[in-house]
Amino acid sequence: MKIEMIKFGEFLISRPAGREAWLAMTAYILPKIKKDETIEVDFAGVKVLTPSWADEVVTKLKNKFDKVVLLNTDNSSVKASLKTIEEMPTQKH
Amino acid sequence: MSIIKEQVYNWLKSNALELMKLQNMSLVVFENRNIFQDELMRLTKYLSENKLVPEDKVWIISAIIGEIGNNSFDHNLGNWPRERGVVFGYNIEDDYLDIVIADNGLGVLKTLQQVKPELNNDKDALKIAFTKILSGRAPEARGNGLKFVKENVINNDMNLVFVSGDSRVVLNGGLKIDNIENDYQGCLAILRIKK
Repeated sequence: MKIEMIKFGEFLISRPAGREAWLAMTAYILPKIKKDETIEVDFAGVKVLTPSWADEVVTKLKNKFDKVVLLNTDNSSVKASLKTIEEMPTQKH
Repeated sequence: MSIIKEQVYNWLKSNALELMKLQNMSLVVFENRNIFQDELMRLTKYLSENKLVPEDKVWIISAIIGEIGNNSFDHNLGNWPRERGVVFGYNIEDDYLDIVIADNGLGVLKTLQQVKPELNNDKDALKIAFTKILSGRAPEARGNGLKFVKENVINNDMNLVFVSGDSRVVLNGGLKIDNIENDYQGCLAILRIKK
């Protein structure tokens, strides 16, 4: 299953917006995915990502599913934000 | 003029005008997160479409300002001690883009004291905020925003002055924290980018 982040917007900035995206995902997308299925999180088209938004979505996806693959992470803010949340101590939300 | 705008202008006048050519900067108060983000998106698109700053840097600038601005709303929501919102403005002059963002909120010390009551000065609070993963919003797992700001300001050759209370952080190739003469109630950040 591929989840396209651009469908949540080009500017993924605030924590509340990330939380809202997670709730929408939880309602409409995640129930269709098996726990051991590979999830591709695609950042193609995203212009600005912050660690706050990413923490609300990517960290939670990684906590919930075994195989999460991040695609198209070349954008400078995407790369930097994913690095920041990777370096955080493991947290269960 | 709003109290918060006046406070920011007064502080800039006494501390940063000569250094940063901020005389022409038009500052606007954004009372809530949504209108602040609209303005940030507008600035981001303007910088990108007019190629005023290399594109890779534009996205990082937007993420940095997004983190700082959203911190103001995250940590003062429902608890603003004075005026609600952030003051935000920018100036493009000569070789530099300067961005100012400030609030009139609790400030870093009071925010962190909620989880670390033994903290008793602004300088130590700023050091923790910029170097350790600790958030005033326990029990939520967060507290990485200003570490992200520090790393990316330094990695992208930008300059940041971040003031709260009687102390300031200066990021300019490295991190320096010192005391200042004129207190600032809340948080005030000046990001300077060489175009």
